[in-house]
Amino acid sequence: MTRPADFPPPFRATDYVAAQTDPADERIEVGILIVGAGPAGLACAIRLGQLLEDAPEIGERLGEVPVAVLEKGKQAGSHLLSGAVVNPRALRRLFKGRKRIDEMPFYGPVEHESVYFLTKQTALRIPAPPTMRNEGNYVASLSRLGRWLAEQADEAGAMLLPETAAEKLLVSDGRARGVRTGDKGRGRDGQPLGNFEPGSDLVAKVTVLAEGTQGHLTGVALDRFGLAGPNPQVWALAVKEVWKVARPLDRVIHTMGWPLRPSAKYREFGGSFIYPMGEDMLTLGMVVGLDYRDVELSVHDVLQELKTHPLVRKLLEGGERVEWGAKTIPEGGFLSLPKQLHAPGLLICGDGAGLVNVPALKGIHYAIESGSLAAEAAFASLQRGQTPATPGALSGYDEALKQSFVWKDLYEVRNMRPAFGRGFVLGGALAGAMTATKGRFPRRDLELERDVDVELVQTDRAKSYPASDGKLTFDKLSSVFASGNKTRDDQPNHIVIRRDVPQDVARLWERMCPAQVYEATETGVDVTPSNCVQCGAITAKGGRLTPPEGGSGPEYKLT
Amino acid sequence: MKALVFLEHHGDELLKGSLGVLSKAAAIGDGEVAGVVIGSGVRGLADQAGKFGAAKLYVADDAQLEAPLPQPRIDVLAQLVREKGIDTVLFGNSVLAADVAAGLAARLDAGLNWDLADIVLQDGKLVGKRPALQDSVYVDVGWKSEPRLALFRSGSFDPAESGGSAEVEEVTVALEDFSTSARMVDQAHEESEGPSIEDAPVIVAGGRGLGGPENFTLVEELAKALGGAVGATRAVVDAGWYPYSTQVGQTGKTVSPKLYIACGISGAIQHKVGMQGSGVIVAINKDANAPIFEFSDLGVVGDVHEVVPKLTGLVKARRAG
Repeated sequence: MTRPADFPPPFRATDYVAAQTDPADERIEVGILIVGAGPAGLACAIRLGQLLEDAPEIGERLGEVPVAVLEKGKQAGSHLLSGAVVNPRALRRLFKGRKRIDEMPFYGPVEHESVYFLTKQTALRIPAPPTMRNEGNYVASLSRLGRWLAEQADEAGAMLLPETAAEKLLVSDGRARGVRTGDKGRGRDGQPLGNFEPGSDLVAKVTVLAEGTQGHLTGVALDRFGLAGPNPQVWALAVKEVWKVARPLDRVIHTMGWPLRPSAKYREFGGSFIYPMGEDMLTLGMVVGLDYRDVELSVHDVLQELKTHPLVRKLLEGGERVEWGAKTIPEGGFLSLPKQLHAPGLLICGDGAGLVNVPALKGIHYAIESGSLAAEAAFASLQRGQTPATPGALSGYDEALKQSFVWKDLYEVRNMRPAFGRGFVLGGALAGAMTATKGRFPRRDLELERDVDVELVQTDRAKSYPASDGKLTFDKLSSVFASGNKTRDDQPNHIVIRRDVPQDVARLWERMCPAQVYEATETGVDVTPSNCVQCGAITAKGGRLTPPEGGSGPEYKLT
Repeated sequence: MKALVFLEHHGDELLKGSLGVLSKAAAIGDGEVAGVVIGSGVRGLADQAGKFGAAKLYVADDAQLEAPLPQPRIDVLAQLVREKGIDTVLFGNSVLAADVAAGLAARLDAGLNWDLADIVLQDGKLVGKRPALQDSVYVDVGWKSEPRLALFRSGSFDPAESGGSAEVEEVTVALEDFSTSARMVDQAHEESEGPSIEDAPVIVAGGRGLGGPENFTLVEELAKALGGAVGATRAVVDAGWYPYSTQVGQTGKTVSPKLYIACGISGAIQHKVGMQGSGVIVAINKDANAPIFEFSDLGVVGDVHEVVPKLTGLVKARRAG
């Protein structure tokens, strides 16, 4: 049967690498350029602010704008989405002596937790696997936490540049020199409209890529500098909703099993989460590995199905959905990490690098820690009087990361994700053995297969998705609306795919996309790019997401 | 600085944008500022311009300059720069001014700074302020050679009357051969037929349920019979069936007519938010489960291709009678 990999998108990473083109006196020069105002990028900006506070002479060398943060969303947080239960370790270190946890925008510590194995009608409570225990962690909305971090970064002296997409990586003499921002005001065929504004070259001494999952320039940089590791990255797609509810939820809940099918042949690895957000809100979401096979699988609709389970329905009774969003999660973990997370003039942090611990369902604290370490490495090289674009000048970042808890955590659980490619039961047993031996079992590391290489099957899975009732269950377009997405319709298409694909690939995309971007037609596939919430699933499954005009996409507030 | 400001006019009036640039140039207070009016029968405009700070006004008045074409204007400006020792030429943005500025830069091999929001004198040098990155920062730009050319964003400066009067000097026009090879065939003003979608008391809108662009004639005929405007959903605009200017919804126009007739529209929330303020909503759709029926006042479950022509016929009959 078909594999999406047989229909690769007409995308060439080299098209997104360029030399500076603006004349020297029109370039915008900044000291350290951070791409992405998420937890990694903002932690980097905050840490740099702290370090420069005590070393004004280095700040002076960085020029008028020592630290700038680019963000493609309307504001910091607009494109941030996570569960999220946050391990506060990295935040404590970043704000040591400056801010306490109770000054941060959390919904409180995790007090109770339950894990259930679901069948269609029943819920069997099972002990929480050791990797999933959340004592001492805090519930957050990452979007809200991101906005708060942006305020801290602003106070620390960083310049935030929202609504600006980083479109091309500037490289000359084998060194990263900054980025070129995307044009604005182009029409559907690329023609300049009345409000056309060309992008600019943003030139920097150090470029920090903190773009999050499916980072556009991160992918380009891994290719340009040959940094890809031995295993490919693999992803999961998460779809979540935020609800106002009548009764407070008193614990965090995770579920496994239904509506996903346990059989190895469907490869439906994932589960759900339900977290309290104070007295009157909760969030729930569904995560499914994108190595799934069934063209009829739709994470959006599996989440709708989940809400009809008695356990979940009861929690939402009398409530109202207030927000919706979707995002991919890099799941490859340690095995999929790039060979190296720096190149001359360049550092890669957070989800973009793949620093996510799937068995623990955590990555935010790794993002923050890696951003902080990137800041320290960049600062150290400047302090030594080096030009950071000199080969090796930033290698301190990789060394520090290897010494950190990030590396140790990821190493111990490195084989768990591939084990679950063998089905839920066997995967679970193998994961148990890995936990018990702190990762010494198995002796030989497993291998990962690209999501796009998985052969497709088709069952009648879609029959069981519930119809939208506008109260408990929703159709995809209503969900896109609830994401706040108001992307301009007449801008160029930012999704690179082949249109002439066979029916099963077209239907795979149509079902997979939680935002109804794709529609299978008689001859292939139609695309409605303005529905896109930039989750990135298409990049995992046979296409390539590039950033649309800055300011496009969802406007998340509570996700 | 010996500056020249390109003064553009529409009919008998100089554009506010050009006068704003003239006032700004005069306010810099460095050297001599002149304006130039180019056209046919434009001598009278010189008096208007004199009040905005120009010490001198050049007038190029010639029948060949009647049409608002760029090349003849470039000839005049290039001639002035050469003969009068002008070192700075300033423009307020417009379609014509942008063409002229770009052409003059090419003709004189001069540097043109584009899209400036301001200009200042710093240490005796002219420095332009150009907004960048969605206007969050200003870039300082300068010139390496003379003459210096600059095009300002529209609305950058307000015209300020200084009450003076300018010495008027007429310029003899000598056009290049190639400058007269373009001629204006027609000058049209956009006029739309029928009421615009924002003002119409009745809107008949079509969606994908119409089946194809050719079936929009059904919608157009009903709209015409009712004296209303035609609307469309994003899906059909996306598919190229109907122009974007008619799109109703979250990313199109928000309308609130007295009567909204939705033909073959499913009623996704993105469409709903653009028309839910309508007085009476009538939906015609063959799918009884379409969300549009949840917020319409009258619903017809049926084929638009049959229902709409019949409705049009009835409306026409009633109006005739």
